[in-house]
Amino acid sequence: MKVEQIVDLFREEFPRPSSELTHTWAVFWANFKIFLSYRTWVITETLSTVASIAMYSFMGLQVDANRFFSVGYGDTTWLAFAIIGIATANYLWMCISRISHSLQHEVAEGTLEPIVTSMIKLRSYIIGQSIRGFLVSSYFMIGALLIGVYVLNVPMVLTAGTILSFIVILVMMIVSYAGIGIMAAGIILVYKKGDPMTFLLASVTEFLGGVLFCLTIFRVILYLLQCPEPCLTLTPWTQRGESSSRGQRWRRLRFWATSPFSSSSRSFFCQRDYESSRGAWTEYGEKEPLRRTRSDQRWTPKN
Amino acid sequence: MDPKKLINLMSAKTVLKKTPVHQVVSSFIVRDFRIWWTYKFWLTLDITGNLLFVATYYLFSLITSSQQVQDAGYVTGGYFTFALIGIAFQQYVFFAVQSINQSVREEQQNGTIETVLSSATDFKVFLLGETCFFFIICSAFLFISFFAGSVLGAVFTLSVESLISTLLLSALLIASHMAIGVLSAGVIMKTKQGNPLTWVFSWMTQLVSGVFYPLKLLPWYLDWVGKLFPLTYSLDGIRLCLQGGQNLASPVVLSDTVSLLIFTIVATPIALYVFRIGYDAARRDGSLGQY
Repeated sequence: MKVEQIVDLFREEFPRPSSELTHTWAVFWANFKIFLSYRTWVITETLSTVASIAMYSFMGLQVDANRFFSVGYGDTTWLAFAIIGIATANYLWMCISRISHSLQHEVAEGTLEPIVTSMIKLRSYIIGQSIRGFLVSSYFMIGALLIGVYVLNVPMVLTAGTILSFIVILVMMIVSYAGIGIMAAGIILVYKKGDPMTFLLASVTEFLGGVLFCLTIFRVILYLLQCPEPCLTLTPWTQRGESSSRGQRWRRLRFWATSPFSSSSRSFFCQRDYESSRGAWTEYGEKEPLRRTRSDQRWTPKN
Repeated sequence: MDPKKLINLMSAKTVLKKTPVHQVVSSFIVRDFRIWWTYKFWLTLDITGNLLFVATYYLFSLITSSQQVQDAGYVTGGYFTFALIGIAFQQYVFFAVQSINQSVREEQQNGTIETVLSSATDFKVFLLGETCFFFIICSAFLFISFFAGSVLGAVFTLSVESLISTLLLSALLIASHMAIGVLSAGVIMKTKQGNPLTWVFSWMTQLVSGVFYPLKLLPWYLDWVGKLFPLTYSLDGIRLCLQGGQNLASPVVLSDTVSLLIFTIVATPIALYVFRIGYDAARRDGSLGQY
């Protein structure tokens, strides 16, 4: 038999009995059940969230209120500022690393090939994994905010306007970063090694995003750098409890929410096709490098 | 062939050429360094992450007051120097402890642990070899952090006495945490899974060992819990030396040193015993190389 004939045979379209929605739900539900089976992990991560908030509350005792007030956060305390920063940064990290981490696990365990050769489209797989990631991340983020507000009595500006703006900003932030997450997943498919892109972005976001300190401290340098960094546009905004009325930031957000997503999706699918043509879906030749993980920092990643 | 005869044959004592311990350990160090050096991109990322971390706390220190730090006896340098010492040493010990676990797991995953341990290499030498390289690398990262901190304005009180005391406290810090690393590696040897011990250790040390704030800010019960961790004594002693200009002649620094010494003397045999149990259990099950 000729090679072309075999290839044509494999390319033959099969009827897909279930809708993409069913596939997406199946992927989400399967992964969510796996998540629920790791009870120790859920408990330890919940405890770590509580411990990190307790730690930041002790750190907050050292903050000079006058200096904090002088950089424009007079209506709130540093602890409120830090809790929003940490909860948002952690949420973001979990969301963007979810796809690349899950793909990495599937590749390492050799289960990606069966998924790809099944009737489930890769798009459904990615969406299902992302939904699972968002849901788990939301649990930790909301938990952190609730502990802050109800246990530590952290003063936050909670009105219908600020909550609504917070949700809108959060959604746009996720969409902005989803493109980066998909791009990282594409890189993993080809290079199989670690997750350098997500790691680098997480470090840069933590630093430049103003998670623990006010960006006005070094206004000139960082405000120049904030154009290529979506988190920078968002974090200070939510931390101040401002409503969504600042035109310039909206425009920048809109840009981030739309342009990288489409280009990175295209990049991911190009890399998928490349790996597919090489038949190297499940190759995992090089072992994971020994490296420092984010677990040695104050907010841990949840895979 | 009779299985008993076969077992007797296999368990017959053979004359093993004894290689000096330092040679075995240096071979481990060279091997691990070669593997580590192949991941240059990760090395760059690690250094970048380290520098960003120091810079983050420098910027945070700009909105803090140094009053609490000075009240705790750490006179020189203010909050940034205080946080720099805490972060650098906490990361140092955490990364080192995590690396011991990771290296044992990798040996299991790669199927090389059985080969190494069935050779003439004693398991204690194996552990020493596995840990030495990581402590060397972590020391390099520690110096990078201190260098970056100095560039950003961290100030230390440096005298010969305080430096010698710091070195002694650092050596005790390594010895005490090596015991913790070996203990968790012993658990991994049997359970073959990620170890919650390391995780709990990391979070607890960050919360109660005074990494980011003086212990006086903690309520009494957390302060008491903090006294169970060797990092608490190490950080207090090192800070008193580097920020307060004190040395071993000072009663507080001496007390910290004695506490660390006691911890190391008590914890090391326990850790080796736990590792031995895990190791023997895995050998009995024939699961030494299983993952």
